[in-house]
Amino acid sequence: MSRLTALIVAALLALTACSGSTAQSGPKTLRMTVWTANEAHLGLLNEIAAEYRAAHPDVTEIKFDSIPADGYTTTLTTQIAGGNAPDLAWILEESAPDFVSSGALAPIKAEIEQAGELVPSATKLWEKDGELFAYPFSTSPFGLFVNTDLVGQLPSTWEQAVAASAGKNLVLPDFKYQNWAVLSAIWRGWGANAWSEDGRSCGFASREMKDAMAFIHRAIFTAKAIPGPGTTVDFFAGNAAMAVSQISRAGALKDAKFGWTLLPLPKGPKGDYAVIGQAGVGVLKRSKNAEAAADFLGFLTNAANSAKLAQFFPPARSSLLNAETLAKSNPLIKPEALQSVVIDGIGKGVVKPSHQGQEELNQTIRAALDPMWKPDADVDSVLDGVCAKIKPLLERS
Amino acid sequence: MSRKVALYGLLCLLCVPFVFPTWWMVTSSMKPISEIFSESLLPSEWTFSTYSQVFRMQPFGQQYWNSLYIAVIVTAGTMAVAAMAGYAFARIRFPGQNALFVVVLTGLLIPSEVTIVPLFRFFQSLGLTNTHWPLIIVPVLGAPCVLAIFIMRQFFLALPPELEEAARMDGLGRAGIFCRVALPLARPALGAVAIFTFLHSWNLYLEPIVYLSTPDMYTLPQALTQFVDIYGGPMWNVQLAAATMTAVPVLVVFVLAQRQFIEGLAHTGVKG
Amino acid sequence: MTFWTYRRRDNLVGYLFVAPALLGSLAFVLIPLGMVGWYSLNEWNVLGGTFEFIGTENYERLLADEKLRESLVATAWFATGLMVLNLSLALLLAVLLNQKLRGTTLFRTLFFSPVLVSLVAWTLVWQLMLQPEGSVNGLLGLFGADGPNWLRGETTAMVSVVVVQVVKNAGLNMVLFLAALQGVPASLYEAAKIDGAGPWTRFLRITIPLISPTILLTSIITIVGSLQVFAQIAVLTQGGPGTSTTVLIYYLYQQAFQFHHFGYGATISVLLFVIVAALTLLQWRMRRRWVLHES
Repeated sequence: MSRLTALIVAALLALTACSGSTAQSGPKTLRMTVWTANEAHLGLLNEIAAEYRAAHPDVTEIKFDSIPADGYTTTLTTQIAGGNAPDLAWILEESAPDFVSSGALAPIKAEIEQAGELVPSATKLWEKDGELFAYPFSTSPFGLFVNTDLVGQLPSTWEQAVAASAGKNLVLPDFKYQNWAVLSAIWRGWGANAWSEDGRSCGFASREMKDAMAFIHRAIFTAKAIPGPGTTVDFFAGNAAMAVSQISRAGALKDAKFGWTLLPLPKGPKGDYAVIGQAGVGVLKRSKNAEAAADFLGFLTNAANSAKLAQFFPPARSSLLNAETLAKSNPLIKPEALQSVVIDGIGKGVVKPSHQGQEELNQTIRAALDPMWKPDADVDSVLDGVCAKIKPLLERS
Repeated sequence: MSRKVALYGLLCLLCVPFVFPTWWMVTSSMKPISEIFSESLLPSEWTFSTYSQVFRMQPFGQQYWNSLYIAVIVTAGTMAVAAMAGYAFARIRFPGQNALFVVVLTGLLIPSEVTIVPLFRFFQSLGLTNTHWPLIIVPVLGAPCVLAIFIMRQFFLALPPELEEAARMDGLGRAGIFCRVALPLARPALGAVAIFTFLHSWNLYLEPIVYLSTPDMYTLPQALTQFVDIYGGPMWNVQLAAATMTAVPVLVVFVLAQRQFIEGLAHTGVKG
Repeated sequence: MTFWTYRRRDNLVGYLFVAPALLGSLAFVLIPLGMVGWYSLNEWNVLGGTFEFIGTENYERLLADEKLRESLVATAWFATGLMVLNLSLALLLAVLLNQKLRGTTLFRTLFFSPVLVSLVAWTLVWQLMLQPEGSVNGLLGLFGADGPNWLRGETTAMVSVVVVQVVKNAGLNMVLFLAALQGVPASLYEAAKIDGAGPWTRFLRITIPLISPTILLTSIITIVGSLQVFAQIAVLTQGGPGTSTTVLIYYLYQQAFQFHHFGYGATISVLLFVIVAALTLLQWRMRRRWVLHES
């Protein structure tokens, strides 16, 4: 028993010791949640924060909380629900409509340096009633990575791309037969949409979507170009001919042992198009230091800092969107690819489909699309089924 | 003889699904990243740089210490709380006993996802988020402890009453009987509780993610998710190196302790 | 007189001994549970910060929720499959390893090792092994069988999720069974042998009744645990294909944390709690029938 008591006393002592590390609140501390834990990312963010604090002595601490990307929004929401909202937060595009429309975010337009030069296609998602509720922090277009060791003739249409990668793998790394929104990088070429502009009517049953999905189905099961469900093939390790991915992935090719190049997305029947993925940074309205947080956001995203951040997060400022500036921070990508994929892409791109109540739509559509991923699926009727399932969800908002 | 061969064959066959994933984890942590998704049994070239990378990318030593000391305190605390409560519920008669046991038992029935939000608000209001307090107090006193209480109760129920009566004749009080007679006999059950509790604390995932927000405070399962590349994609080989380092020491302890643990468990208490 | 004071002091000691556990249950289980019950009567929009009393609306929604019904079916399959497979496998392993045999230590350790492996690594490797061209189908191919695409078929996905979970945790129950088996006195077997009982009869008539307290313990742990399995499903199937592996806890997670319907999530929590409580109560009630030392 005495040994037990000793253990408990030791436990209590240790407890007092660990409680010493509770953050003491000085005049003003800021906390920003981010989904990256990458040391290079955090290094740069901390560097910018240090610079800001030097000029603003009242802000004693700026802390970047890394939350795993998997479940990022969940953890963020739990913190908000628990009354521990961060002052600033990265917001993934799929939760943008929820955050913007719910009134959780503070307006920030006034704090942003030269907000006028932000590319409209990049700010659209983050605006409501002419006000900006989050800064488009990373605007990353989709491109076609090609392993030139495996593919001789570079494709310019989807038909060519599928033909050239038949049996050699054309991968969509983030799709995994679950994140269907990634497929918009293909179906936009057919002019298809997940839903109408106002978000109220379903687009899955449209002729364009049926044609696009039939093409994708053939690419998987007939041409054997896209790896079938449940199969993991890693382009960045050199095991695939092509990959449809966001250009911020190029960093993974730093030590690639094969030749590669980056192309704009191939043309579909409807011609040229681009699709972008986004993340924004917003200020939580409930933050006690919302004003200071917005001020810091203005500093973080001013032209000079945006230029520094551009090496990891493609900027949405038109003054930075030129091959020369981008080439400095993206040495891996050839200038002509930067022009055609990044600059033109951000200019004309549309973001991946997003909608209020996105997660519920995501799961519902994911479940409804599952019957499609079989060799003998009836594509048209599966797509009609998707619309039947999501109609009530679309009409609710 | 042939029976023995058949037995070994069966055991080896059954072993495969248990062993292969672990084997894969250990060997893949030494593979170059490009080979991770190949199912080769051994790396084509052995690299150990992933192991030093683990310590370079995260304060892994500190995180190891966090997990370790939290698990040790939780284990010790749970053993104390559970032994007392389990003993009282099994051996002492007091009014309201059954009702109170049912009250305590509710904790066994609640997944942590269910109560995480109110608990988070509670600790937030005390200013205890981003400390290790919630990871220690809740397991020791809250729902996770209930399983331990249950195990202890089951054990004490099976204890022959004659032992206690003899001690009572010798003039020992309740506390004395508990400390001098019951607890020493309960060592194997306490061992089972210790293993369960330690593993539970060691593998806790949801709570640290919700409560802790700076790398210095992280625990191991949470730290495992932090090895990511520039894009935010997981660096599998580094993650697996970290995972190997979290699993192997516990495995070694189990190898050393298992015979005593199992036999101890058998010889005294939970005998059917 | 002395008896009476002893009795009273005994009561006091009893209350003191259960006090920490009781206060803990109150603070960290019952009060939070009560709060969850209160949330379930409200519409709580976490992002907008609105919290509005709506009475029993969430419960009416619960009754009409078709997805919830699908999820209950999935949960029943999952829990049953997991419990049957886990307990029988763990018992089989324990019986095999309770023999006088060289190398049992090694085998015990091997079977126990998955318990210690991080869940992330564990699910990842199984995901790879269960691919259409993965090693599971490779192995089946050796016997001339053509394996399915495990994680993409509704039934096979459920089977896979159960097996992955069983292999991860069976070692824990195996250890408990081993301990119980070693506590069965050899003399009983000898006596039964003399009476002419075969190995199967001995197992059913002696082993099972004598280890019944452990069976009760493991079955409660396993069934309660099975209703809390969440991360594996999130990684392996995300509840699919269709909704075939969306067990209740995953559906709860989706509603509360992914779809931001905290009030409705709380309502599902209440349902989950009622189900687990009912099941446990049932096991508890039945224990007197078959478990030693409980009557």
